[in-house]
Amino acid sequence: MNRKMAFASRNIKELLRDPLGYIFCIGFPLIMLVLMTIIDQSIPKESVKTFHIENLAPGVAVFGQMFVMLFTALNISTDRGGTFLMRLYATPMTAGDLTAGYIIPMLIVSVVQCIITFIAAFIISIIIGNTLSIAGMLVCILTLIPSALMFIGFGLIFGVLFNEKTSPGLCSIIISLGGFFGGIWFDAQSTGGVMLKICKCMPFFYCTKSARSAMTLDFSGEAFLLPLVIVLVCAFALTALGCFTFSKKMRADLG
Amino acid sequence: MLAVETKKLTKNYKDLTAVDSLDLSVEQGELFSLLGVNGAGKTTTVRMLCCLSQATSGEAFVMGKSCKTEMPQVKSLIGISPQDTAVAGRLTVEENLIFMSRVYGFDPEKSKQRTQELIGIFGMEKVRSKRAKTLSGGWKRKLSIAMALIGEPKVLFLDEPTLGLDVLARRELWHAIEQLKGKMTIILTTHYMEEAEQLSDRIAIMIEGRLAALGTLSEIEQQAGTQGLENSFVAIAERGVQR
Repeated sequence: MNRKMAFASRNIKELLRDPLGYIFCIGFPLIMLVLMTIIDQSIPKESVKTFHIENLAPGVAVFGQMFVMLFTALNISTDRGGTFLMRLYATPMTAGDLTAGYIIPMLIVSVVQCIITFIAAFIISIIIGNTLSIAGMLVCILTLIPSALMFIGFGLIFGVLFNEKTSPGLCSIIISLGGFFGGIWFDAQSTGGVMLKICKCMPFFYCTKSARSAMTLDFSGEAFLLPLVIVLVCAFALTALGCFTFSKKMRADLG
Repeated sequence: MLAVETKKLTKNYKDLTAVDSLDLSVEQGELFSLLGVNGAGKTTTVRMLCCLSQATSGEAFVMGKSCKTEMPQVKSLIGISPQDTAVAGRLTVEENLIFMSRVYGFDPEKSKQRTQELIGIFGMEKVRSKRAKTLSGGWKRKLSIAMALIGEPKVLFLDEPTLGLDVLARRELWHAIEQLKGKMTIILTTHYMEEAEQLSDRIAIMIEGRLAALGTLSEIEQQAGTQGLENSFVAIAERGVQR
């Protein structure tokens, strides 16, 4: 435990001391929150429901988590690119210590990022006269933990398999796909046809759906439970795959 | 018990033999240098001894523990300062050392005490709160060696510790390495003849993965039939290449 926490502490310090971390993980989602609220206030009320603050805040929270994925990938690929990990391989640290040391801080950062997003959304909701439910926000934050783990799993896999130049590019693809097919910036449910079918094949859709349902305290099976179970399964599968890939790569590096 | 022992140690990469049937014995407390041109197999040898690479055949032992079957025990006995400095860039000097001490399982009090000790040994007081990425090459190397020493290793591996350093920083680092002599076994790989001459108890010259010469400076001079390590090295290397 001591080794895992020592490495987690190192990783969290590295992230907190990187100005880009603040810009992408906090600044950018907050800008999107403000910008989309301005758009929502400037167009007819019933035209785009996605930009209503109760729908927008969970969507932006999911969007922010995708940048945590980017930083997970960047952190791991940078460590692998240098000899820092090699130094750690020559110590009593195991693959389990190292993967836990990467996952734990990113999970903490993701939850903190989510809380900041909802505090900002709450302030905005008061300003625009559509106050968000505190209970809804708290449940939503908890609901978003599996989705944070899912994105960290993606980051772990990309960071292990690709170098520091390629992994951010691949993460950008996931960010674009997630934003699009996750229904963050438009109502995917109302599209129907092939578009909805594609959205439903992507885990991002269920992240947004479960988070939005949690926000409105709608715990029905179809709106909340089923999407949450899908996200949970994806989160565990991707994290397990990430840990397996890391362990395999470590063995290959030591071959 | 020998600090390091290899028996017919071999490492093949597809069609390349990086290390070829290497037999070495290093006594405890010795400063042993591995000399060779690029691609001679020095770093591969160090990697195998540090459990960072599996031997294709042969055996390697550190303090009597097998690098193949007793890896956790070997890892707790060694420290390595890789060719690249391998420090956490955004952590301060002090934080890097505390981090490594926790990796070796020290409690917070022991971590602090060991960190303070190493900051003192390497004269890093004035840079202790500086982030590693802002340090000069010389300070980074010192930090890297201090990180390798934090776990109180019985065998310390220094892989080209002065590569790319200016003459003053190099001399300063030599002085720091000399201070460690006798307290532990040190395996040093280097390109610099002067460095090996100045620091080593014994020297091994590797040519194309093979051990071409082994002994004290005077023994190597005798084997080469010339004076000075550089001349001896060139003579042995040319002989090795011709073979």
